[in-house]
Amino acid sequence: MWLQLNINFSFSSLLKGSLQKLPLSVAGLALMASFTTVNAEVEQDELGPRIEIPDSSGKSCVLPEDEIRRKHPDMLKHDRILTLREGVRAKADGNNLDGSLKQCINCHAIKDDNDQYVRIDNDKHFCVSCHKYAAVTIDCFQCHRDIPEGSSNFHALSGHKNTDFSSVTPGSYGLTVKDMANIAPEVSSDDK
Amino acid sequence: MTSKIEKEDLSRRNFVFGSIAAAGLTVAPGVMLYQTANARDLSKPVSSKVRWGMLIDTTKDVDWNKCVEACVKEHGLGNEEHSRADQRTQYIRVVDVKNKTTGYSMSLPVMCQHCEKPPCVDVCPTGASMKREDGIVLVDRHRCIGCRYCMMACPYKARSFVHETLTDQKTTTPRGKGCVESCNMCVNRVDNGQLPACVEVSEGAIVFGDLNDPESDISRLLAKHGGKQIRADLKLNPGVQYQGI
Ligand code: SF4
Ligand code: SF4
Repeated sequence: MWLQLNINFSFSSLLKGSLQKLPLSVAGLALMASFTTVNAEVEQDELGPRIEIPDSSGKSCVLPEDEIRRKHPDMLKHDRILTLREGVRAKADGNNLDGSLKQCINCHAIKDDNDQYVRIDNDKHFCVSCHKYAAVTIDCFQCHRDIPEGSSNFHALSGHKNTDFSSVTPGSYGLTVKDMANIAPEVSSDDK
Repeated sequence: MTSKIEKEDLSRRNFVFGSIAAAGLTVAPGVMLYQTANARDLSKPVSSKVRWGMLIDTTKDVDWNKCVEACVKEHGLGNEEHSRADQRTQYIRVVDVKNKTTGYSMSLPVMCQHCEKPPCVDVCPTGASMKREDGIVLVDRHRCIGCRYCMMACPYKARSFVHETLTDQKTTTPRGKGCVESCNMCVNRVDNGQLPACVEVSEGAIVFGDLNDPESDISRLLAKHGGKQIRADLKLNPGVQYQGI
């Protein structure tokens, strides 16, 4: 159920079992809701806004879902010391997957209806969607790029591997359309 | 974009040279690729067995602005919108110098000199300004509080401060408001086994390599023809050396 964080469940189904397996925040919300709506189907409105987290389509992350949810801040912190200060550039799974923020973005970037990647000012942005819900303020993206860059470095499972960058609107990237067409998707790039 | 970061003259950054000699030594075009980093185990930290350096032959007839442009492109610089020209980031700039007595003039590219004993690191109150084990000096922006002590400490005026919110940074060079930054010897490329961007476009006028390896091109050239450090009197032992200055 990677990222199917569906909080539109009924209270009775909660009692039947999987309380421990639910993310704490969701379980807490459900318990709070239970004081007011005992034995009733919990309405979405009463639980606050619904998080829309994109479907992973069965792809897997560097860690199992429940671990990555808890550990990703530590992993990134680790990476910023290991990679920046010590120069360790190994991939997280020893093969394809990179434990870096760049890799998170490459896999999890979301497109809007116009086929453009959404930026961090948009609530649909993968990182923003959860952090906003949980009232976490991060400032990674003051410096780090919030959307993928023309690159052949996409993880094999990333849905963006075959993106046709030649149709990207100028200005939405640091590179020109011509740069992108030259780089993406298969050949060597600046950050190969 | 590149027009924002143009040739600088002596007056702007008030550059100080110990001496400027007219005698030029020509270096044979260096082989562009280097071997050591390719062999490095990327899952291990970098080691002080390697010390990266650059040797810049100023007697070569090269348009140094090409190096500036390559650097700007590589790191996605020049995306400041509100800053004045003298506030915008420069990792590398072209300095023109003239000997008033003889009238001899020349240009040379100046970037962070990757000092062995970097004053910018000494003065940093948070440990953000740092030297990697392999001699590359850079700013860890996670720790930078923007105090700008390092900018004052650097005798080469190599550092810049980002004054405004940036967008569309390059993935490989995260950079943003409130942090000091400077040439990082293209650490993202070096770790990939590539040459720094300015070296790549320099037509052999800049040789990059391992100063600790006597067999490397840069060490051989230095052994044969010697090299000069800017303000060598400060005894910072920069990793960037020059010929023809
Ligand atoms: S040239 Fe300046 S910024 Fe570079 S290492 Fe030396 S003191 Fe630090
Ligand atoms: S080594 Fe890289 S960062 Fe430094 S001046 Fe050259 S291109 Fe710019």
